[in-house]
Amino acid sequence: MAISIQIDHVSREYGPVKALDDVSIDIKAGEFFTLLGSSGCGKSSLLKLIGGFDRQTSGRVCFDGKDVGDLPANQRPVNTVFQNLALFPHMSVAQNVGYGLRLKGLSGSRLQVKIDDALDLVELTGFGARDVNLLSGGQRQRVALARALVMEPGILLLDEPLTGLDERLRQQMRDEFGRLHKRTGATFILVTHNQDEALSLSDRMAVMHKGRIEQMDVPARFFETPANAFVARFVGIDTLLHPQAVLVSGNHGAATIAGQTVQVRIAGPADPAASVVAIRPDRLFLAPPNTDAALRLCVSGTTFRGLHRDLRLAFGDGQTLMIAIDADMDIGELAIGQEVAIGLKPDAAVLISR
Amino acid sequence: MMIREGLSNRILLWAITLVGLIVIYAPPLYLLAVSFNPALQPGLPSLSDLSVQWYLALPKETALMAALQQSALIATVTAFLATGMALLAALAYFELRAQRTAWFLAVILPMFVPGVIQGLALSAVFTRTGIKASSLTVIGGHLLWAMPFAFIVILTSFAAVRRSYLVAASDLGATRWRQFVDITLPLIRPGLVSAFIFSFLLSLNEFTRAFYLAGRQNTLPVVLFGKMNSGASPVIYALSGAIFMVSVACVAFIAIRSVVAKATPGTGQERRS
Repeated sequence: MAISIQIDHVSREYGPVKALDDVSIDIKAGEFFTLLGSSGCGKSSLLKLIGGFDRQTSGRVCFDGKDVGDLPANQRPVNTVFQNLALFPHMSVAQNVGYGLRLKGLSGSRLQVKIDDALDLVELTGFGARDVNLLSGGQRQRVALARALVMEPGILLLDEPLTGLDERLRQQMRDEFGRLHKRTGATFILVTHNQDEALSLSDRMAVMHKGRIEQMDVPARFFETPANAFVARFVGIDTLLHPQAVLVSGNHGAATIAGQTVQVRIAGPADPAASVVAIRPDRLFLAPPNTDAALRLCVSGTTFRGLHRDLRLAFGDGQTLMIAIDADMDIGELAIGQEVAIGLKPDAAVLISR
Repeated sequence: MMIREGLSNRILLWAITLVGLIVIYAPPLYLLAVSFNPALQPGLPSLSDLSVQWYLALPKETALMAALQQSALIATVTAFLATGMALLAALAYFELRAQRTAWFLAVILPMFVPGVIQGLALSAVFTRTGIKASSLTVIGGHLLWAMPFAFIVILTSFAAVRRSYLVAASDLGATRWRQFVDITLPLIRPGLVSAFIFSFLLSLNEFTRAFYLAGRQNTLPVVLFGKMNSGASPVIYALSGAIFMVSVACVAFIAIRSVVAKATPGTGQERRS
C-alpha cells in the first residue's frame, strides 16, 4: 500500500550547520520522487528523516497526514536500500532477505515462499543458500533490493544505490528500479547525484543545494524553465549569458548580449543585473552565413566528444556559448577566430534569475 | 607480492624461526621429559627407564588435586564474569562518544597496576571491611586482572560490526535488543571466545594476587610454588606435564577441527542457524 509523505517546513541543524533549511515537499502516494544534488546538499539528511534514523530540529514529517516524528525507524512502514548496502555478512542470501519477515514472526514455508518470491522478483532465483560475501556487486545490490522489497513497504528509500557499480550494471539496475516501481506500486524515493538516473526514473524530482530545494518539478520542466542559474548548470545547460539590457513584452522579450539581440522567454526578473539568459545547446544550429536573425560569433575552440563535437563560440565581450555539432559534419576547416552564424530554434533561450 | 628470497635469506629466516621455537618449547618439553623420570632428582630420563609412576601418584596428592580443582573453578568463574563484564564495558564504549577515551583508560587501568600492589591493597581493604579471604576474594582480584585484557580483545572484535548493519536491521524492524542478538552478538563471537580463553588462562596462571587473597584453599600456582621451595617431590613435574599435554591436545583439537571445516565447506559452520 503506497503511502504519501508530507515534509512540512523541516530543518535539521548540526550546531551552526544547517543540513536542511526549511524544506517542504509533498510526495504523492505511489510516486517515484528523486532528490537530486551534489554531495553535502542535504538530500541524504532528508532521507534519514523519512527513514526515522534522525530527527529534525524543527518542522514535521507526516505519512498519509499523520505525524511520524515519534515513530522510531523500526516501526515505520519504510524500507531502505542503503548506499553501502549493509548486507549482514554472517547470513546467507535467504537469511538476509528473510530477516525482516522473521522479526515479524513469519516462519516455515510461508517465510520461504516470500523469500523465493522476492528473489524471483530481482532475478536471483535459487541464490538463497549463497554466501552474501561471495556475490558480485550487482548481485549484492539485488539482494539489498529484495531484502527491502520483501517487506512490502509503503515507502522504499533508495540512497544512492547505484554508486560504485560499473556503467552497464548501473543501467541494468536503473531499469530494474523502474520495473519494480510499477510492479510494487509503492512510493519510491531515490537520492542521487546522477541526473541520468533522476531523469529517466522520476515522476517528479527536486534539485537541492545547501539544504534548500532549488526547484521541484517534473523532469522536463527543469530543461524548459530552470528555476535559476544553479539548476540550469546542474542539469547541463552550461550556456548562461549575462544580458546588458532586457526588453519585456508579456512573457516574451528581447535580451541584448554583447550588442546582439536574442529573443527570450521571460521566467525571471527583468532586471539584467539579477538575471541570466540560459540557452539550450540542443536548440542551436549552424546557420548559413547570411541568415538574418542569427548570432554572429567567433570560434574559440572545438572539442571532439565521440558522437558529436563541441564548438565553443565567443561573443564580442568574451562570454562563450557551447553548441554541439555532428562529429563528421562537413563545415570545412573552422579556424579559431573565424566568424560563424548561429541560428536559434523557437524557445531556445529563456531568461531566468541568476 | 611474493618474491623468491635468495637462498641465504631463506636459510637465515628458517634459522631464526627454529631458534625461536626452541626457546619457546624446549623448557616445557624438558619438564615433560623430567616428569617421566622415575628418579627422585630432576633430570632427563634414559629411554630404558621411562615411567609414568609420578602420574599414577597424582590422584593421591590431595593437596595438589584440591589446588587444581580450586584453580579450575576460579578460572572458570573469572572467565565467565570477565567476558560478560568486558562485553558490557565494550557496549558502553560504543555508546559513549566524547568520553570514549576516558572510559577506555578507566577500564584498562588495572592492567597497569602491579600484581603485588593490587593484591596487597585488595587484601588490606578486604581485611578492613571484614570480608573473609575465600575463593570469592581471589575471583575479585582475578577479575581486575583479566577484565582489561578481555575488554581489549572484545573491543577489537567489534570492528566486524559496522554501524550500517545495525541501521539496516532497525530499518527492517529490529529493536535494539534484536539488533544486539541477531547482528552484534554473532559478529563478535570470535572475540567473546578469545576473551573467555584469555581470561581463563590469565586467572589459571595468576600467582601474586592469589597469594594475597586466597583463603584456606590456595590456588595451583601458589601451591606449586610452595612445593618447589620445600624440596619438591617429582609429582609436581607430572602435574605440569599433564597440564602441558592437555593444552597441546586442546590446540590440536581446534586445529584439526578447523582443517576439517575447511575441507567440507557448509558443514560444521554455525553460519547457517
